[in-house]
Amino acid sequence: MKQIILIALCLIALTSPAHDKKYEEAMTRQIQIVYTSEKTEELQAAVNSLDRISQAEKDKWEPLYYAAFGYVMLANQETGASKKDAHLDQALKRLDQASLLSKDNSEITALEGFVHMIRVTIDPNTRGQQYSGLSMQAFGKALQQNPGNPRAMALMAQMQYGMAQFFNSPTTEACGLAQKALAQFNSGKTEGVLSPAWGKGMTEDMLKRCQ
Amino acid sequence: MKRMIFLLLMTSAVQAQTLVSGRVTDTQGEPLPGANVVVKGLYDGSSTDLNGEFQFSTGEQGTHSLTISLVGYQTLERVVELTGAPLNLFIELREAINELEAVVISAGAFTASDENRRTMFKALDIATTAGATADIAGALNTLPGTQKVGENGRLFVRGGDGNEARTFIDGLVVLDAYGPAAPNTPSRGRFLPFMFKGTSFSTGGYSAEYGQALSSVLALDSKDEDIHTRTDIGLLSVGADVAHTQAWKDGSWAGKLQYTNLRPYMGLINQEIDWITPPASLELSSAFRQKVGDRGLVKFYGNANRNHFSLYQAIVGDDASRQSLDLTNTYRYGNASYRQAFDRDLFWRTGVSFNYNENRNELSRSTFRERETGVHIKSAVEKSFSDRVELKGGVELIYRDYRAVWKDESAGSITQSFVEPLWAFFAEADVYANKKFVTRAGIRAEYDAHHQRTGIDPRVSMAYKIGEGQASLAYGRFRQSANNVWLRSHPQLTTEKAEHFILNYQMIKNNRTFRSEVYYKNYFDLVTFQFPVGQLPMGFAPFTQPVFNTGHGFAKGFELFWRDNQTFSKTDYWISYSYLDTKRRYLNYPEAAAPGFASRHNFSVVYKYFITSLKSQLGLTYSFASGRPYHNPNETGFQTSRTPSYQDLSANISYLPTSQIILHFSCTNLLGRDNIFGYQYADTPGADGQYASRPVRQAAPRFLFLGVFITLSKVKGVNQLPSL
Repeated sequence: MKQIILIALCLIALTSPAHDKKYEEAMTRQIQIVYTSEKTEELQAAVNSLDRISQAEKDKWEPLYYAAFGYVMLANQETGASKKDAHLDQALKRLDQASLLSKDNSEITALEGFVHMIRVTIDPNTRGQQYSGLSMQAFGKALQQNPGNPRAMALMAQMQYGMAQFFNSPTTEACGLAQKALAQFNSGKTEGVLSPAWGKGMTEDMLKRCQ
Repeated sequence: MKRMIFLLLMTSAVQAQTLVSGRVTDTQGEPLPGANVVVKGLYDGSSTDLNGEFQFSTGEQGTHSLTISLVGYQTLERVVELTGAPLNLFIELREAINELEAVVISAGAFTASDENRRTMFKALDIATTAGATADIAGALNTLPGTQKVGENGRLFVRGGDGNEARTFIDGLVVLDAYGPAAPNTPSRGRFLPFMFKGTSFSTGGYSAEYGQALSSVLALDSKDEDIHTRTDIGLLSVGADVAHTQAWKDGSWAGKLQYTNLRPYMGLINQEIDWITPPASLELSSAFRQKVGDRGLVKFYGNANRNHFSLYQAIVGDDASRQSLDLTNTYRYGNASYRQAFDRDLFWRTGVSFNYNENRNELSRSTFRERETGVHIKSAVEKSFSDRVELKGGVELIYRDYRAVWKDESAGSITQSFVEPLWAFFAEADVYANKKFVTRAGIRAEYDAHHQRTGIDPRVSMAYKIGEGQASLAYGRFRQSANNVWLRSHPQLTTEKAEHFILNYQMIKNNRTFRSEVYYKNYFDLVTFQFPVGQLPMGFAPFTQPVFNTGHGFAKGFELFWRDNQTFSKTDYWISYSYLDTKRRYLNYPEAAAPGFASRHNFSVVYKYFITSLKSQLGLTYSFASGRPYHNPNETGFQTSRTPSYQDLSANISYLPTSQIILHFSCTNLLGRDNIFGYQYADTPGADGQYASRPVRQAAPRFLFLGVFITLSKVKGVNQLPSL
């Protein structure tokens, strides 16, 4: 009987951390997929899983954030403009919800800027003006919220690089910022296993073009 | 010990897994991959595979809700009993009608919007069209359904005259949408394209919300709050402007001061017009936006403008008879609106616009002054009952007070005036039978308190998606008060009316648009004089003769539009063609005849090309309009003569040396064609029995414009490109 009580107590004591562990495990699995997968079905399934986690974990912003990230990746794989836009709309919807749960979150703001940036690529001629302004503004805001956010730096550097190319002006400023972002990627410590950790490869690729 | 075993059994029972599997399809039975199947509130669930099949197991027990969702479909909830016994489910999802995929009502409408990405026309397109010189009407004149009337500059739509097209800003009427212009020179719209996030130009069959327009509605949606603090400076060959925008978290304020003076330009380039003082204007405009709470938005826009010019004009056939004309126009426009969303399905918007327009004409021996004050108040509610049924309803009051005063040295003074309070109620329902078929049915009731008359106008449109394209049908009845020029002297005149029948097919795919439309338009109750041209008896002036609402007419035609910014790299072009056959008996027409503004064939090509190496955008516009009818009193028959065709090739170039400076140069009529818009004739025949004539032609063969636009802003990439 004592044993049973002991087991029962252990079970109760374990419930909370066990739950957190289950959350972390589930999240880590899906985050890996949205970071790396190039298969549409796999990505969609991961996004769905993240959506399921988010509706069970009503106070956590990360599931929404990564679901949004997954939709950004899905948008990148699509070819048709209206499908791309539909995915980006889904991403924004989740980022809006996430920002209600975590106010002034630099990572959420930076990803929002990334969504606007992809909108530009769909139709640069007609959208460039509006969405490049929106994305630059979002990156600026993200850096205000956290001056050391390497993703905000790297994305802003990409926008600057694109604009410099467009105007045939020197890319020094853009490349300098990308260098700064890379230094931040290398030195910065992640705050937890679920903290966003993407963007380093993209920055390295850009720096190759800088040379 | 028994109890322990029991407990263990309990535990294992709790952990018993229920296998949930099934298939998700659409209503046609087609499998839906990627759907999310979730036990509500839990992690448990799965996605459907390519065959629409899913499978997962859950340790939960008891009654639970299963949620099945997929983008583009309505989310479904199904209650299930989890007992440990496997469950196999068949789920059918209904399509959600979302704006991306669903059919839209397109008959008569050209929509330009920054927000809605599924439009064939963007706000920027208006600004960068060559030949338009950043005038909204100028750019819209390259679209099908419009007729080029070069000496007027307004929108003439499908055989309707310039007054039949009405401008609205945020749903509120603009009574004098065009600035003043010297006789037979084009006037420009008072509002610049950059103020608006969306432009909806309808050439017929428009919503029941819009009244007092016989032919066309130009509905402009002003921008929401600005997000960048910035200062803009413009140095133009015809003046200068400075603007500042201050943005804060939930709102913004913008102000602009603009001075235009054509004197230096007119001094350089010889004009047909005998100017005393070329046009000069001073304009101040201001916009304020503030978000209220989570879902409310207050907008205010105000504009004050003063414009002056003076010139000499001569009577036809007597060049020595020159008389001076001195015009001062004072204009004020204010527009305040408020929009509140109560939840996702219910919106309320209300607004008021104030218009004041005064023209003061000083002639050699007389003065003529007219002023009009107008107030428009509107309040409307929009409610969606599901994604299939949307309802809109509202009330409005358009109040106009008009007065004209002539003072003549010999004849004394005459005053004519009217007050017209007009109440209207409108209701409109959009019903989607499915994603492919939508019907919009509306009704508009107007009570004219001036004449104590009520009129009811039904409007119906339908659209059906066929493959990648869609076909639309529209019918509507429209009415508009008689022109001020007649109403002031004949207050008994009631509204003129029109009926539109439109059939449209359009396809938008891969940045290419094809659009075709046929229409028939019926005019009735048009203002008609008792005595036709040349038959006015002695003792009657045109303004004192009896005038009735007995005129009638028709317009029919077809239009084609093609736009492509996909096939050629960095190139965007569109081609429009309109065929128009129209006749009307109105004003002093002795019989039904084609009016002077109606050209049978109108054709335009607009071409835009971005030259990366030069960091420049080049634009070319070619316009053609076949000869316009005019009445030659030296010939028998009425309106039987035709002017030569109108042709114009215009170019513009925008150069962006850095992201914050733009140089803009534009030139109209590169080939210098002498376009003749019509002829004016002397009132009485000369000694030879012939009426002397004078052609109405362009004031100068070309109009050149050079501007430098500088933007100062912390945010890079912000420039004035959208305002050019």
